[in-house]
Amino acid sequence: MAVSAATYPFVSGRRPGVVAARVRRAAGRTLATLARSVAIFVPVFLVATFVTFSLRALSGLSPARLQLGEDATPQAIHNIESQWGLDRPFLAQYGSWFDHLLHGNLGRSWSSGVSITQLLGDGLTISLSVSFFALIIGVVFGFAFGTLAAVRRTTWIDRVITGFMTVISVMPPFVVGIILVEVFAVGLGWFPSAGYVPANQGFGLWLAHITLPAVALSFDAISVVARQLRSGLIAAYRENYVTGAIVRGLSPRRIFFRHVLRNGAGPALSVLGARFPVIIGGSVVTEWIFGLQGFGRFANDAAQQGDVPAVQGVLVVSILLVVSFNLIINVVLGRVTPASQRGV
Amino acid sequence: MVRRVLSLVSARIAAGVLFVIVFLAVFGKLLAPQDPLAGGPQQLAGASWHHWLGTDYLGRDVLSRLLEGSRISVLGSVEVALIALVVGAVPGILSVYLGRAFEWLTLRVADTLIALPFLVFAVAVTALLGNGISQAMITVGVLISPLFYRVSRAATLAVARSQYVEAALISGASIGWIVRRHVWVKVLPPIAVALAQTVGIGFVVVSSLTFLGIGVQPPAPTWGGLLASDLRYLHYQPYAPVAPIVLIMATVWGCNQLADAIRDVSGEAGRALLNTRRARVNRVADREPVSVEGGAR
Repeated sequence: MAVSAATYPFVSGRRPGVVAARVRRAAGRTLATLARSVAIFVPVFLVATFVTFSLRALSGLSPARLQLGEDATPQAIHNIESQWGLDRPFLAQYGSWFDHLLHGNLGRSWSSGVSITQLLGDGLTISLSVSFFALIIGVVFGFAFGTLAAVRRTTWIDRVITGFMTVISVMPPFVVGIILVEVFAVGLGWFPSAGYVPANQGFGLWLAHITLPAVALSFDAISVVARQLRSGLIAAYRENYVTGAIVRGLSPRRIFFRHVLRNGAGPALSVLGARFPVIIGGSVVTEWIFGLQGFGRFANDAAQQGDVPAVQGVLVVSILLVVSFNLIINVVLGRVTPASQRGV
Repeated sequence: MVRRVLSLVSARIAAGVLFVIVFLAVFGKLLAPQDPLAGGPQQLAGASWHHWLGTDYLGRDVLSRLLEGSRISVLGSVEVALIALVVGAVPGILSVYLGRAFEWLTLRVADTLIALPFLVFAVAVTALLGNGISQAMITVGVLISPLFYRVSRAATLAVARSQYVEAALISGASIGWIVRRHVWVKVLPPIAVALAQTVGIGFVVVSSLTFLGIGVQPPAPTWGGLLASDLRYLHYQPYAPVAPIVLIMATVWGCNQLADAIRDVSGEAGRALLNTRRARVNRVADREPVSVEGGAR
């Protein structure tokens, strides 16, 4: 702050100076939030990657069994294991694996020898488009339902919405997926029941293929966001400053956006960050139902094959996705409700 | 406490539903009208007097498979919850007493397990560790355990630093008496809530795994596995998934409802209320909180 006061003296045009200072303060606060969030998530990332790496030692699998079958000579097994560097001490293996990881190199698949980064690339596009579409559906409908229920609280609208949220909260993604296939693909024939078309072959076709899986994934987010938002907004409506705003004669719209939404949306946003892993995890199931070759499907196939480096690659990517999404949510949360950062 | 919980109507309904489902799980094998693994001549038949819910693609009786499959699906989720209870609650309580290094380490591990994409890890680890039902239970149990860790840690912290425990210590009460009189009452309700929640979560995860064919060997029926095979024959049997879906949703709903009821009865901080009437008054106050402001709006 001292530096900024020196570079922008008060005299040089009042308005631009004020605006610049405000922007700088907001940027500084965002950076501070970011730094604090990174400090939280670095240990999470380290522990998660360590757990992921120790999976090979825990499972006792080796590339030799994959390539040579069950009845290989001990000498051949030893040769292959030393070729993959598996005869070195555990921590040394972890060190070099982690070093490669930081350079974006996830190693090679045991079964095909192809680079895992390359194998994952295509699947990731599919999974990410489905997951983010699901997230958008979750946010839009969750906020719409939650707001509607809170504004029309204790009426039949509120009761219907709350009941509906209870029903969809007990439906796991695979149940929703089957119902969607049954109704919209088999029954009505509106959407294709399986497969994927890249976006450059026609946007409408692409959207039609990812809609059902995205809807199947979004139900959990919708119900959680709507419920949190409803209780958050109702709690904000009970505050004295809202009564004060009503007394001052402000319009209901202004009260809602300026007083209630900003203060009541915090829990809903943070719960969204906590539900993102569920969406990523659910993609394993929905990709299986809808025949998408995404990274959840890749994880499933690789794990059943015993291809440990491929599984580790998928897990690391999923951890990265979750951690970076939570970073974004933390920053947004810090901007919307600064008070939420005090406890962090 | 059980009586207080059951005095709520929603809890009674939930407990009834769960009781029926557990009954099916325990005695399903005896109730099954036919051999769940024996194929018959009629394949993909509709509901009839002989096959109440029809037959699947190998001519096996769906009702029998459903009853037989309930054992793995339901008892599996209970087992998952118990594993999570042991893995989570013990370090949760110890983290208050064993010093800051242990506390820091267990907190970081709990943070990590919460942040992990649950199902991806459950699928990957179970399949890598040998693809058996016990591997699945242990993996899922460990992945859910942070819930118990947090709950038991918070409850223990609240009790250990409370003045009435200090007062009881000063007045010469034994540790055992304090645990029975003060700690137990405070720790039990949150653990019970978490247990009901975990059974629900564990049930969803175990069903998802069996749906993907992970954790079970093929001929053994499970609810998830039934749905997976129904999915392939939706064109021929559009109503086949209804029965397993209803059972799955009823189980999850029952667990959630029971967890809510226990929370309502025991109060926010796990404080046991004195009588049920106050619990009910609180519930109504929570449900319809804003009659005054509704008028002002």
